[in-house]
Amino acid sequence: MSVAPPGESANRGRADLMAYASLSLISIFCAIPFFWLLIASFDGNAQLFLRWPETWTFANYLRVFTKEDGAKWLFNSLFVVGSATVLVMVLSGLGGYALSRTRAWWKLPFLYAILLIRVLPSTALIVPLYKFLLTLNNAEGALLRPIFGGATRDIMRWTGFIDGYLGLILVLATMQLPLSLWIMKTFFDGLPRDYEEAALMDGATMIQRIRRVLVPLALPGLAASGLFAFMSAWGDFLLPLILLSSPELQTLPLGLFRAFLRINEIDYGLLTALAFIYLVPAVVAFGFARRFLVQTFSGGVKG
Amino acid sequence: MIHLNNVRKFYGALEVIKGVDVTVDDGEFAVFVGPSGCGKSTLLRMIAGLEGIDSGDLVLNGKRINDVPPDKRGIAMVFQSYALYPHMTVAENIGFSLSLKKVAPKEIRRQVEEVAEILQLRELLDRRPGALSGGQRQRVAIGRAIIKKPSLILFDEPLSNLDSALRVQMRAELQRLHRELSATVVYVTHDQVEAMTMADKIVVLNQGTVAQAGPPMELYHRPNNEFVATFIGSPKMNILPVTMTREGSESVHLVGPLGMALTLVDADASLPEGTARLGVRPEHLKVVAPDAAHFAAEVAIVERLGVETYLTVGSIDQPIVVRVEGDVTFRPGDRVPLAADTAACHIFSADGRILRSANAA
Ligand SMILES: Nc1ncnc2c1ncn2[C@@H]1O[C@H](COP(=O)(O)OP(=O)(O)OP(=O)(O)O)[C@@H](O)[C@H]1O
Ligand SMILES: [Mg+2]
Repeated sequence: MSVAPPGESANRGRADLMAYASLSLISIFCAIPFFWLLIASFDGNAQLFLRWPETWTFANYLRVFTKEDGAKWLFNSLFVVGSATVLVMVLSGLGGYALSRTRAWWKLPFLYAILLIRVLPSTALIVPLYKFLLTLNNAEGALLRPIFGGATRDIMRWTGFIDGYLGLILVLATMQLPLSLWIMKTFFDGLPRDYEEAALMDGATMIQRIRRVLVPLALPGLAASGLFAFMSAWGDFLLPLILLSSPELQTLPLGLFRAFLRINEIDYGLLTALAFIYLVPAVVAFGFARRFLVQTFSGGVKG
Repeated sequence: MIHLNNVRKFYGALEVIKGVDVTVDDGEFAVFVGPSGCGKSTLLRMIAGLEGIDSGDLVLNGKRINDVPPDKRGIAMVFQSYALYPHMTVAENIGFSLSLKKVAPKEIRRQVEEVAEILQLRELLDRRPGALSGGQRQRVAIGRAIIKKPSLILFDEPLSNLDSALRVQMRAELQRLHRELSATVVYVTHDQVEAMTMADKIVVLNQGTVAQAGPPMELYHRPNNEFVATFIGSPKMNILPVTMTREGSESVHLVGPLGMALTLVDADASLPEGTARLGVRPEHLKVVAPDAAHFAAEVAIVERLGVETYLTVGSIDQPIVVRVEGDVTFRPGDRVPLAADTAACHIFSADGRILRSANAA
């Protein structure tokens, strides 16, 4: 460090202090809701206001999984959002690669057009979307019922477009795909063709080029695209609300919502425990992807 | 031996390779050189099989390989970016082509170590490319090429990412490798110094055609045209517009800018009268006594390199570079009398064809 006059360094110290103080205040402000959640979820008698619990207990969590269908909600959420994320990663990986390498004239118009899907609020489109899915669903039902008869409903729970996993997975993936395609296209733009051509000259087949060269190189980008898809789909509330009705298909946010709406008194302990469970996967996903994110946003692949 | 016969390449309607004929003999170090955009990379990638050939023949060791896939040609390529896989170690990078062929890991390791020995990479085999210096990455890229025991190795501007000191060192290293492996090499660069120092044969490309091919010194002393004459050699050959008039049967008289007047021997009367272009290299111009001068000009720039000095004389739009041994006392603004070595003068026609080479009288 260069020598600074004492007055100036004291000034800088004071400025640093101010910066740290205000940043700490802001972070405390942001952290308080989470803190409240955590504390209240272990409180035997949780209230609307932040308070130190008189008795610490796991009863709230226990209630989520015994009295309520918490395990089922958690599974539904993880399954639906996880499947949508995997779908988005596969499609955005392949599609982003194609969009990056093609010289077709429609490339840019296409890229901007798909962003519209993301920009337009899904709420505005929910009626036509529902109509469309309902038509598909009815067609599927008409097709399956003669074959499977009474078992049709059980099958449609997985493959149905309305009140079935498949429909929600597809719609959630569709919502996340544009941004992920952009992320992957930009990522592959920064990946020199030389890598593939070198592999080609070394005699790698198409599958080998993808598996041994492209996928490892694209991992940071895929992690970023998957993370955004997961976090955004995990937080989505409206689509499952509209598309799912069976109690056994409910997702975590829906369970939380319905628990909140109960007419008799509000059970804050249960709500906060549910909310905390709802938070955990998002935080875990962020933890996993952070390593890759840093790479992606600090200038692509090194080496 | 690799032979290109009237090879052409179109991008849409744009012809970028316009009928190229080149032969590279076994064990030869051939350098394709030319200005940016002349089609060097395209030509190299056509040889590698990464670009299709629209017409003409590509013949390797007597076999036409136009339609042979890249990995079946027995050709290896070192990319400008090196294209080392960041997720593999140096050993895995070098052995990648073997592992694709399902060679046993033990055998791969043995061959990788053999290659690493030649390239002095032994200590680096377990590192990732990200932890290597530029020169080391370069050597790994070469290792990945030579482990395939190719009959031809292609290089696309392999030294352009290195700093100038390392570039000089790698030039020597590449030549050593070439000798040790007795490999056939086609090397692409836009740097004529690289071409001159390394090549057995230089192929000068200009706008998709071969301007001239031959050993470096032949191109230097006997260029076929003005393009090659000015491209090869540093600093560039001076080109001056002149008017020629016949003077008796055995000589011509040249009149040029800056009051230039000189007489060239032309025993076989091959030079026409009229306008032409005089080419004379900086080392063939001398500062002389005023009464022996062909012309005189004002010094604009003095560049002292110690062992030699370059004087730039004349006007901005017609600068003339003169090489002088050792140091000089001239300063910008001084007027110096100059003479050309008439035996070393080149004469080009107005459209750039050679009419008379140096020492050709
Ligand atoms: N895919 C392509 N589509 C259209 N034109 C192309 C394509 N690739 C190259 N070209 C054109 O072909 C010509 C030759 O390109 P090439 O890359 O071979 O030049 P180069 O001699 O290697 O130049 P440099 O020294 O800059 O690498 C250039 O004019 C370039 O614009
Ligand atoms: Mg090039």
